[in-house]
Amino acid sequence: MSTAAGQIFAASSSDGDGGGFGFVFLLSGFLFYGAIYLRYRNVDKRHKHESETQATLQNVQEHDAFVTSKKGLTNRSMSGANNTAVRGMLRKFF
Amino acid sequence: MENIDPDIPQPVEADATNPVSADAVPPVTKENEPRVVLTDADAKDGLAKCARCGATEIALNVATGMLRCGFCRFEWTADNAMEAFNLNGDISGLTGIVVGSGSSDIVPTTEEVLTFKCSACGAEVVIDTNHSTQARCHWCRNTLSMNQQVDNGAVPDMILPFSVEKSTAVERIAKFVGKRKFFAHPTFRAEFNAENVMGVYLPYMVVDINAHARLSGQGEHQTRSYTVKVGDKDQTRYDADLYDVVREFDMHVNDLTVESSSDRIDQNTSQNSNNIINTIMPFDVENSVRYDSNYLAGFTSERRDSNLDQLSPIAHTQAEDVARHRVNSTLTFYDRGVRWSEEEVDVRGQRWVSAYLPVWLYSYQQRKSNGKTFLHYVAVNARTGETMGSVPLHQSKLLLVSGIVQLVGTVVGLVLVAVGI
Repeated sequence: MSTAAGQIFAASSSDGDGGGFGFVFLLSGFLFYGAIYLRYRNVDKRHKHESETQATLQNVQEHDAFVTSKKGLTNRSMSGANNTAVRGMLRKFF
Repeated sequence: MENIDPDIPQPVEADATNPVSADAVPPVTKENEPRVVLTDADAKDGLAKCARCGATEIALNVATGMLRCGFCRFEWTADNAMEAFNLNGDISGLTGIVVGSGSSDIVPTTEEVLTFKCSACGAEVVIDTNHSTQARCHWCRNTLSMNQQVDNGAVPDMILPFSVEKSTAVERIAKFVGKRKFFAHPTFRAEFNAENVMGVYLPYMVVDINAHARLSGQGEHQTRSYTVKVGDKDQTRYDADLYDVVREFDMHVNDLTVESSSDRIDQNTSQNSNNIINTIMPFDVENSVRYDSNYLAGFTSERRDSNLDQLSPIAHTQAEDVARHRVNSTLTFYDRGVRWSEEEVDVRGQRWVSAYLPVWLYSYQQRKSNGKTFLHYVAVNARTGETMGSVPLHQSKLLLVSGIVQLVGTVVGLVLVAVGI
């Protein structure tokens, strides 16, 4: 089994880059600081209005039309996907 | 209401002979002009007496959520606000803008200090509505309550009584901080006393929205993933089908809740910790009762200072967020995501009600070495018990420990990178 882009070995969701775990350790001090800061100050916490507010949808109309197939994409998720975006946050970090 | 003698007259605030309902809503006079539901139609200022003994020493019994006379222990409750004002009406039939009279625009020129004539002895008593809606007559010791809505936002449409007792709040705050003591600032650790918690009614706007939404864009569905060899490394590649996606629907948002105090709206976490108070939402606002300032006895309150015009943009943006997230249940096929390019949310009807919601608040003013101060909160939702807080950090201790972790991590990381793990 092969493609023009390269040889396919197996279907997998792994990035397959060696040494990734080691690089996490190289950032361990920064990660530790960030984790403790968030645990004590909780600056990332907010009311999740988008999911915690009661709402009902009615008369839902769905229109889906196939456009094209894409091959050899490098990103796990769609570029520019915004269906989980939240814009009504009152929280500001800066 | 249980255990009430039928011979005892019912309290005035529970007067069912003069209910305020949607029928009382006046017709629209101009396009886009809010229709006002009079939520203080039968409210009276002055002496609110116990129906059994006539005392004015009335306060909330947190254990039962009812008002209790301090002398004869008679208990009663105000009407449920949602039923009294028909605020639970069908959202699908909501058109235009409906507001409770306590949500009307604040008039800046309104005097904040009001003078009451005591209904018991005739003395004149001053109430500063900036700080309280109750005062005790200095001559006859009766409590005077202000329940009618003045135009300065001091009296809301409804109030949600405390139901979490102070002892529970103290326990939760102590537990929350107790888990965060190691890196807490030493001054905070020395001064922390959970008993200093205060019960505060904070002002919010509760909004129902009837909207029609149309979202259009593109979505991707993964058909395959595989590994390719690029140089010496393995990399994952994905195949996907691209679709044009449109979703059109009616949406009914119930009890969207936004802060209506300008101080609380500002949630810049580098300047304040208001996000902590925001986090403990939502409240069970459907259990709110008609405003009665006797519910405030023993608690403090903060006045609303933001109008509907200022709060509409954030409420509508949050409603759009709700629409975007709710419709995801119809998009499970698009496992790589959907990119909406057009989002039209047409708000056809909206209903605004101002409310006092209960919070147990522990606050701590941190004085920093540069002379600046920062106010930390630990807040408990006084209905659900949800607790969140901000604890001042001992920065030098955290930096020292982080440095040690970094040192050890660097050594371990270099070894792992060298062996290719």
